[in-house]
Amino acid sequence: MPKRSDLQKIAIVGAGPIVIGQACEFDYSGTQGCKALREEGYEVVLINSNPATIMTDPEMGDHTYIEPITPEYVAEVLRRERPQALLPTLGGQTGLNVSVKLAEAGVLDELGIELIGAKIGAIQKAEDRALFKEAMERIGLKVPRGGIAHTLEEALAFVPEVGFPAIIRPAFTLGGSGGGIAYNLEEYKNLILWGLSVSPISELLIEQSVLGWKEYELEVMRDQADNVVIICSIENFDPMGVHTGDSITVAPAQTLTDREYQVMRDASIAIIREIGVETGGSNIQFAVNPKNGEMVVIEMNPRVSRSSALASKATGFPIAKLAAKLAVGYTLDELPNDITRETPASFEPTIDYCVVKIPRWDFRKFPGAEDILGTQMKSVGEAMSIGRTFKEALQKGISSLEIGRFGFGGDGKDSWSPAMVQTEAERDLSRQEIIQKISRPNSERLFYLRYALEIGLSVEEVHEYTGIDPWFLRNLVEILECERELIRAVSEPTHAARV
Amino acid sequence: MIELSPENIALLWNAKQYGFSDVQIARRWNLTELEVRELRRRAGVWPVFKLVDTCAAEFEAYTPYYYSTYETPSRVRGPEGSFSPFSESEIRKSGRPTVIILGGGANRIGQGIEFDYCCCHAAFALRDAGYDTVMVNSNPETVSTDYDTSTRLYFEPLTFENILNVVEVEDPIGVIVQFGGQTPLNLALKLEAAGVPILGTSPKSIDCTEDRKFFGHFLNEMGIRQPDGGTATDFEEAVEVARRIGFPVLVRPSFVLGGRAMEIVYDEDSLRQYVARAVEASPERPILIDRFLDDAIEVDVDAICDGERAVIGGIMEHIEQAGIHSGDSACVLPPRTLSDRVLAEIRDHTKRIALALGVKGLMNVQYAVQHCPEEPDGRVYVLEVNPRASRTVPFVSKATGVPLARLAALVMVGKSLEELGLVEEPGVKFFSVKEAVLPFVKFRDVDPLLGPEMRSTGEVMGISDSFAVAFGKAQAASGSGLPSPPAEGETKRAFLSVNNRHKSALVPIAKELRKMRFDLVATEGTSETLAENGIESERIYKVHEGRPNIVDRIKSNEIHLVINTPLGAASKGDERSIRRAVIEAGVPYATTMPAAKVMVEAIRHLNSDHSKEVRSLQEWHRVNRGED
Repeated sequence: MPKRSDLQKIAIVGAGPIVIGQACEFDYSGTQGCKALREEGYEVVLINSNPATIMTDPEMGDHTYIEPITPEYVAEVLRRERPQALLPTLGGQTGLNVSVKLAEAGVLDELGIELIGAKIGAIQKAEDRALFKEAMERIGLKVPRGGIAHTLEEALAFVPEVGFPAIIRPAFTLGGSGGGIAYNLEEYKNLILWGLSVSPISELLIEQSVLGWKEYELEVMRDQADNVVIICSIENFDPMGVHTGDSITVAPAQTLTDREYQVMRDASIAIIREIGVETGGSNIQFAVNPKNGEMVVIEMNPRVSRSSALASKATGFPIAKLAAKLAVGYTLDELPNDITRETPASFEPTIDYCVVKIPRWDFRKFPGAEDILGTQMKSVGEAMSIGRTFKEALQKGISSLEIGRFGFGGDGKDSWSPAMVQTEAERDLSRQEIIQKISRPNSERLFYLRYALEIGLSVEEVHEYTGIDPWFLRNLVEILECERELIRAVSEPTHAARV
Repeated sequence: MIELSPENIALLWNAKQYGFSDVQIARRWNLTELEVRELRRRAGVWPVFKLVDTCAAEFEAYTPYYYSTYETPSRVRGPEGSFSPFSESEIRKSGRPTVIILGGGANRIGQGIEFDYCCCHAAFALRDAGYDTVMVNSNPETVSTDYDTSTRLYFEPLTFENILNVVEVEDPIGVIVQFGGQTPLNLALKLEAAGVPILGTSPKSIDCTEDRKFFGHFLNEMGIRQPDGGTATDFEEAVEVARRIGFPVLVRPSFVLGGRAMEIVYDEDSLRQYVARAVEASPERPILIDRFLDDAIEVDVDAICDGERAVIGGIMEHIEQAGIHSGDSACVLPPRTLSDRVLAEIRDHTKRIALALGVKGLMNVQYAVQHCPEEPDGRVYVLEVNPRASRTVPFVSKATGVPLARLAALVMVGKSLEELGLVEEPGVKFFSVKEAVLPFVKFRDVDPLLGPEMRSTGEVMGISDSFAVAFGKAQAASGSGLPSPPAEGETKRAFLSVNNRHKSALVPIAKELRKMRFDLVATEGTSETLAENGIESERIYKVHEGRPNIVDRIKSNEIHLVINTPLGAASKGDERSIRRAVIEAGVPYATTMPAAKVMVEAIRHLNSDHSKEVRSLQEWHRVNRGED
């Protein structure tokens, strides 16, 4: 279908200031959106309060408003500019929330502005935990046990069904703000009260813990002719329990069997259709029980997300740009892939390399803050690297972080090495500390995995303590083995290096 | 020296294919990083660059987006029976002159999107000027790593080894290091020493501003004032310096950048604690001690220089006093309280410093302006000079309509400011306020006080032809919108609790709040001060005095505005729990008196006619150009 000719002017809402959980990925998506719409001849009205963005450069849009992203000010801009449509899916949770508020308050109807990309019904279905759960059950997919609470009393009623540990997540917050894991009733009550105070609609999702399950994300796009493509699969190195933004992630997924992957693909396609995201990209998160392969759907973002920026960079497939073009009526088969020029966007990307993303934290800036990772995101940035293998990409990724490390340890910066322990007692002490560090996720865990393997923990033991898939751990072992060969080449020059 | 036996060559291949850096190999083989590189060169263990092509090489790819990898070469049998290695890089070049732009890598506090903005502008500007632009960066969130921002994109770690790899295949006319924040700057000297041509301001000039002795001397020679200071390696020396220059002093270890571990110390006791706690101070790494300029106004200046001419890009006056990290402070462009004489001095200093340093590109200078009997309108001190793109460049560009980063990139490839049409400071006909956005809500156990360490993650901007309205917009944009004055019959409460030094300054603020019908709630001492000045307030319990106390009232959403300045250097438990409650309840708050003052001024304007008026940047820039 050709692009819509009934639209001339389209508004895009940005994501506002950089905060933990919402960083410059939305400058990337917003900038792509502006370029894509202008390329199609539309006049672009842009609203974003963040002056440091490229998207707010006066050349990027036709009418660029550096104004607060609040319903009041955005409504003012819309009243003044009178666009025919509003594209709410490129500005992160902030852009989406404000668009929903304007739709719900009737401002969009009053001004005759159409939401394009995702309709209000689809957004609500994806974001409202109760509606989402119903929708998943309708298509035969499982979600973790639990439910919605608006008060402490309602929350307490879930305790018998959910048990401990329990996951608490407030609705409509960024980067899991106010969420957490409760291991006992006291922690549970505290988290409920805190969560209720930070959720703008005082709503919490309380869920059975799927801690330690394997975590996956699929980036999916759909057009108005109901074509759906999977752009990229992403596997979390850190299992469930650590926010995706705080997890090391790997693309494509590495440890699924083809059968498991196909099931996940089918589920993703069914989900985007059921939720009803008509055009554009969505991000769907799954958890898989490593013991029996049971799969549950964790959540869906009916918009461009941090993971879609990563998926775009990992594959070369510009999700935000295409989301903008799909929103004005094109179908995937009508849009060329920029990179090949020959294949249409309906060709799913294939990658013949491995991509690793590693978060970067700044705990040292916040004395008193505990270096523990959980369901609330704490990282302030991330680096991505590309290699032919997971090992290569991981080590390059660590170098990319600029934290003074140049690979998976062995760079002279390790805080522990086998040479530091002489006696059995010292060894035991180290062992305990290392086990503690790998069992509770923290910003240093990756390096403690090295120490764990060096102090003699087996892959199976480390897997037990961390839930990290043995496949990843065996790759870490291979890195250490190669390092040992390097050492042997100088200490025993006659030793023929094994290749 | 390691022998280049076939086994060791195979091992090198293996290690590089496993992603080992030269730093790691060097450590294991007792070599330097460059020796490993040389060894690899001799052994032919060299990276190839592959395309990210969406299709696993099934179709031809046109978008030059690369990553490096180590591919075991196929063996091609040469004519004389020897094998020569063959491996395939997929790089396509055009023959146009190439400029490499080094990005900023992973975002961190102090180095974020602002630098990505500058890098993108450099790429756009140089591409338009006929160059091939090459971006090297590892941050997947950014616009700079979009494959159509530059002519060629290398998704690579920003390390010496990986940058050299790109430089060798690209053979650029130069590399831009001053746009990506600290990351590329840290590598600049090393890259230059390795023969890499650096564009713009020389790495030595950039580096010398970090050298305290040299730079102190440099400013002295030019007759430019900076705060007195000294260095110390132990407490005795520290106290000697502090006595000489006078308390309060700003102390920090010499080897960290970006304000980490920086503190303001008011007395000898706290200084002793700092020295004890601080740092393994040593003659190579002394503690730096500077006179802290109390209640001074901080000013940030961005300038551009082509070596012959220096032009001011924008002057920003901070809202918070000097001592709060500039990245965490709100600021306004143009300045609103500085005298013409002070501004003229700032302009003069900035231009002279830029020319003396031989800046080719951007420069940022931070000043403090402190009132003193000799110069009642303020004495100007230089706090810091950074001859590179600063965090404020995008803000200044938006406030003035002059694309500083773009112009600076062109200056770096030899254009003069005259050719670029920028010969004088852009005039500004409206107010732009920048406000910092802080992540305290994410860190439950952290005291949300501002200080010399930067902790903000982002920023917002408010624009209006009235300063108060622009400030109010910036607050709304930052997520803590100010309360409008209560309507007839409506109750809104402001909580006031300030330390003794601030009590007299609080009086007019409190009066103003009362005039706008706010109910005032205050702790004992503050409440007494208010009563002495005939201002009515409700006395409220501090946390330890009983209940319901201020924290209870905040949690019950009964408080709409908080003004709370810290009592001393160490934050007391009581105040801390108040500030935490404020953060979690999302109540707008001020922890400094200057911020409190403008907050109240902004509240007064919230109901004015044009407080909700919006205008596009394009229209504002037309105003600046005098077209509207």
